[in-house]
Amino acid sequence: MATAAAAPDLEPASSFLRRRWLSGQLFPYALITPSVAVIAGVLAFPLGMLVWLSLQHYGLRELIAHQGEWVGLGNYQAILADPLFRQVIFRSLAFTFTCVALTILLSTLIALLLLKVRRAVSVVVMSALVFVWATPVIVTVDIWQWMFDYEFGVINYLLTQLHLGNFIHHNWFDNPVQGLGVLVLVVVWGAIPFVTITVFAGLLQVPGELLDAAEVDGAGPWQRFRFVTAPMLKPIFLIVTCLSTIWDFGVFNQIYVLLNQRPSADYYTIAIYSYRESFGVSQYGLGATIAVLMVLVLIVVTLFYVRETVRQAEIA
Amino acid sequence: MMFRKSWVTVVSVAVAVLAAACGGSSGSSNNNSSNQTATLTVWLMNGSAPQSVIDEVNADFKSKYPNVTVNVEIQQWGDIGTKLDTALPGNTPPDVVELGNTLVAKYAAAGALEDITGKKTGFDNSATWLQSLTDSCTQAGKLYCVPYYAGSRAIIYRKDFFASAGVTPPDSMDGLLTVGQKLMDAHKSDPSFSALYYPGKYWYAALPFVWDFGGDIATQSGGKWSGALSSSSSQQGLTTLSNLVSKLSRADKTGDEAKQDAAFAQGHIAMIIANGWEVGVITDPKAGNPALKDQLGAFPSHNAGQTAPVFLGGSDLGVASRSKHQDLANAWIATLTGNKHMAEMATVGGVIPNTTSMLSLGTGINSIFFSAAKNSKFVPNSQNWASVENANVLPDMLVKIFTKQMGVADATKSASDRITTILNGGG
Repeated sequence: MATAAAAPDLEPASSFLRRRWLSGQLFPYALITPSVAVIAGVLAFPLGMLVWLSLQHYGLRELIAHQGEWVGLGNYQAILADPLFRQVIFRSLAFTFTCVALTILLSTLIALLLLKVRRAVSVVVMSALVFVWATPVIVTVDIWQWMFDYEFGVINYLLTQLHLGNFIHHNWFDNPVQGLGVLVLVVVWGAIPFVTITVFAGLLQVPGELLDAAEVDGAGPWQRFRFVTAPMLKPIFLIVTCLSTIWDFGVFNQIYVLLNQRPSADYYTIAIYSYRESFGVSQYGLGATIAVLMVLVLIVVTLFYVRETVRQAEIA
Repeated sequence: MMFRKSWVTVVSVAVAVLAAACGGSSGSSNNNSSNQTATLTVWLMNGSAPQSVIDEVNADFKSKYPNVTVNVEIQQWGDIGTKLDTALPGNTPPDVVELGNTLVAKYAAAGALEDITGKKTGFDNSATWLQSLTDSCTQAGKLYCVPYYAGSRAIIYRKDFFASAGVTPPDSMDGLLTVGQKLMDAHKSDPSFSALYYPGKYWYAALPFVWDFGGDIATQSGGKWSGALSSSSSQQGLTTLSNLVSKLSRADKTGDEAKQDAAFAQGHIAMIIANGWEVGVITDPKAGNPALKDQLGAFPSHNAGQTAPVFLGGSDLGVASRSKHQDLANAWIATLTGNKHMAEMATVGGVIPNTTSMLSLGTGINSIFFSAAKNSKFVPNSQNWASVENANVLPDMLVKIFTKQMGVADATKSASDRITTILNGGG
């Protein structure tokens, strides 16, 4: 009796699933499950661990004992009250803004130039860009370090030879503003290839007829770029700006290597600060807290781009 | 603690004599272990022991423990703190680690090192170990490592430059300035010339100036540390140094000492403050300039006929608390620090041995460094000192002073406050 009564209830449920499956409503979820599992494994799990770590006092002793001490939001209170942290956040944001603005501007100019030059020239420029891109960051930063070296650097030598002033024994990192300027140069130099090649690829997709029509209507070069090219490239600009912001906000290698692994507090960006607290003074809980705050700031900063990108995708 | 050294080429007949005289007494006795099977991982720092010494130590160890494989892995100083932090808590940590003497307290206090108090007498010369190194191994009355070797600094100078400028090595701080200025005058035409080359972040070399005038980094009373760099005597020392740097040095005021040997070998420098082993780097045929070999002399820092206390750097050897082969690890350490190989470290390696009984092994230019070590001081022996180092408090303070971004009073005040906070357990 009982089975007879239960059977009619079960039957519709399984056929419901089958119907959904066949009509394609569940199939996409099945397809996406493996990648969601991988992302959860390699991103969500470490991020969760980071948040968990940030809620504990976790020094070297706790690391050896494999057991932290729960402090709730204590680390967050300590960091937010630290005046150094506010300086670091401000410096990181200013540094990121400068780097991203310069990267996008210069890359767009180079990409536009590539459209105009002869094929042989554009091949040479593209190859150079790919070389820059392909060289490991540590290697390039080491070379930059030698070029800007106080005693043996070729930059000081060249500037002096060109009679642009006496740069013998000029210390580029003496004054933090100038030193950060050098770092902006190194970061932007390394970021240009990716953005240029991406924007260039986008430019190739802009229909020639549209530009011709605009020209016939009397639009000058700037107007053609402003009203025809730029709107068509908007999705590309959004994505490269978003990625550049994320990369530049987390800048670490360039600063750490260029300043001999011992950057002074004047050069702390948020990633360096987090690393210092974690591995420098073995306060892993505090370091994790800074890293979590870094992610939060980054989410706020990039929210605009992400929203715009999603909107663009919906329009398309 | 920084011992980036390619090995020194000071070999003397004494090596052979001593090796023969002292051989055979190394190693702690362990009779039933000859058929133990294990793999021992040893972390030594770049340049600490010449490869020939490591090979001999391993050969001697092998003859006692034929079934034990020893892997000696050479580590770099630059990122060693990070590596130790991540490796020591693991389940298969390196069994033996070489630690800079300023780092031991941190790892001992955190429980990362084995307490070897009861095994002390098993090591050669444990009664005559250098006091400062033994102190660095001791936490709350317990021993956590074995002193390995020490290094002290003195001024290395170019004899030919001194002769051509008509000056002789000074015997006081004022004399150093006078001699330096004469050298600067004699090389007026060379815009790269430094009479005393002093990179801004070189804090090891700044400490003698602080100590010389009676100052200190920090003092402890009633279990509380208080930073002492802002005391008037510390400030006096740093003002003296700052004056020397601004008048005699064209070195990078924000740079560190890593390149000073290469710079010295280029020939635009009359004096550097350096470790004994750096003589070998300067005259190295590949990286340095062998022609300088007979042109080097050395003298300790002087103050009115006395020597200033120098910073005694050095290394200790510890056993990881999570090591699964602690007895073997201690036996390996006993072999390396035993009479036979310690004598080689002093003569072939050119470092100051771990025992006062071997200080007479320093010959030639080395004897000057060995004797400088007799009047030496050390950083505050606190588990939090490593954090002071890692937070770059001292280098940052020196850079601020030398680049005139801050006055001596302000810079020392802010560094001293930071040191007080960190040593007392705050971030």
